[in-house]
Amino acid sequence: MKMPYGLTVAITFSVLCLSVIGAAAQGAFDLSLLNVFQGVIICPWTNDCALSPIEQQILTDIRLPRIFMALLTGAGLSITGAILQSVTRNPLADPYLFGISSGAALGAVLAMSAFTGAFSGFLAATGLSVVFNVATGALAGGALSVFLMLTLAGKSAVQVEKLLLSGVAVSFMLSAFTSLVIYYSTPETAATLLFWLMGSFSGSNWADLILPLLAVVLGSGLFFIFSRWLVVMQLGEESAATLGVPVHKLRLGMLLVCSAVTAILVAEVGGIGFVGLMIPHIVRLLVGGQLHRVLLMSLLVGATFMICVDVLAHSLLQDQVLPVGIVTSALGSLFFFIILKQRQSR
Amino acid sequence: MVNQSSHNSYTSGDAELAHIAVEHLSLTIGAKATNAILRDISFAVECGSLVGIVGPNGAGKSSLLRAIYCHRYDQPASLAGQVMIAGHPVHLMSRRERACKIAVVLQESALPFEVTVREVLATGLTPRKPLLSFTSKDDTRLIEGIAADLDLTRFIDRDFGSLSGGEKQRVLIARALVQQPQILLLDEPTNHLDIQHQIETLSLVRSLGVTVLLTIHDLNMAAAYCDQLLVLNKGQLVANGEPFQVLTSELIQDVFQVAADVAVIRNTYTHERRIRIAYDMPPSRTIAPGSAGERRG
Repeated sequence: MKMPYGLTVAITFSVLCLSVIGAAAQGAFDLSLLNVFQGVIICPWTNDCALSPIEQQILTDIRLPRIFMALLTGAGLSITGAILQSVTRNPLADPYLFGISSGAALGAVLAMSAFTGAFSGFLAATGLSVVFNVATGALAGGALSVFLMLTLAGKSAVQVEKLLLSGVAVSFMLSAFTSLVIYYSTPETAATLLFWLMGSFSGSNWADLILPLLAVVLGSGLFFIFSRWLVVMQLGEESAATLGVPVHKLRLGMLLVCSAVTAILVAEVGGIGFVGLMIPHIVRLLVGGQLHRVLLMSLLVGATFMICVDVLAHSLLQDQVLPVGIVTSALGSLFFFIILKQRQSR
Repeated sequence: MVNQSSHNSYTSGDAELAHIAVEHLSLTIGAKATNAILRDISFAVECGSLVGIVGPNGAGKSSLLRAIYCHRYDQPASLAGQVMIAGHPVHLMSRRERACKIAVVLQESALPFEVTVREVLATGLTPRKPLLSFTSKDDTRLIEGIAADLDLTRFIDRDFGSLSGGEKQRVLIARALVQQPQILLLDEPTNHLDIQHQIETLSLVRSLGVTVLLTIHDLNMAAAYCDQLLVLNKGQLVANGEPFQVLTSELIQDVFQVAADVAVIRNTYTHERRIRIAYDMPPSRTIAPGSAGERRG
């Protein structure tokens, strides 16, 4: 028996709020939940703050930006996964399958190695480092992957199977280039690049949050606006076309929006796999397959999941932070293994 | 059983029932002229009639339906001739305009995710609703009314994928009715259905009062329910008329390569003519005298 939808949303939202507060209290420097409440609710508005300046700084400048980055990443990747699965009618679609993440990663890795390599002096001297940074590199890479995917698919880009195959091909090709860049980097750069590729929210600040926030808010807005058509797409392309839905334009449009959201997120946090694939599946188990429910719940569950993953990454090993991508991939494979076992025993 | 009380209530109020005129329709898919799927097809359909399209596999039945609803092929396809609905060429209508006039029920395909019957029905509102709009009380009333008429109320909140073939077919027809179309096109609506559900589905379609074109394989069913039959063979329209005029032993032999006896039965009171076709099937095995099979018989 499933819980009523409204109640499920309310509970998930409460869990999300609690996870934000819980995650803010969690870390090497001890902060109690009371401290976090004070730091978030009282200190910004009054001078009567019980927190020491250092505690206040750790909370507002280090932990909260990191937590919100995790929140946005989880929400963004999950809703993107849900949309891609819906427009392709393929439950295995996610940003990685289409090569979007690989493209963004290649762009980011190229940009990072340029900073540390021969061009760093040139970029700094000419002031081009404002334009050519990791974020723009990732965006350009993401755009390149979509361009390649559509070009390779050519006229068959209207057929979803061809588009998926082309996406997988582009994904492998760009991953090969990324590996090549890492192979030819100095050991120090290679280590930085590898760590970045595995994903991390550490080092995020409030300014870093602006672009991901815009991407997730605008992208989700578009997804909800078009959800009436997206539901029709689930019935099959030909049926959707007979109901007046511009099937090919809708799919291409959604693909481009998903690419932009993914590329911006990858640019900020690196490669974090399995989330876009796994969260929509969990959500469907919780609230069924109705698209608007899946979209809203993907945002909430994805955000909560990613905050918890970040806490795990910080607390699994003593004095060491695990890359987030490792934790998500491990949890993801475990999740699908459990689902597989459940289906087999049914 | 299906409630058939509400005749003629599913078309949009403002429009009159449509009259379809297909003029010199030809369709070629791919570059070669030998790939002609439809060759110079012309026919007219009267308002409110139920028209069956019959013919062997690959005769172009589904392609004819697709040409009427202006299907966009993934491969290059060239279409000549035109389809008029109430005097308006279909290919000049916008996608949405067309969807308001023509509803299509395709052969049901598996849905990748759970979708409730109510949601499937609500997709019928798509052509008439702007993107940014909520389902109004009137919409809900329309959906629930049609669901009640088609006896779908008891599983309106169930997953579409969990329904039986006959129930799914009824849901898809109900969705087409939510579109409030002037014309309903059905691609093999009785496919995969047992005889009870075939009869139920065709009786339902018959009772709607909308102009219906459907493709069908069972000639007896087609003869029993259709007002007009179009017989296609190798992309050509080889016969067009009332079932008792069209379905003759010669035509069945020519088109389907099957010998058949066609009996015309006339009702003494109503003078209605019905036909019954018995196929001449070669015996699959001979039963030895005194065997279990013969004793039972």
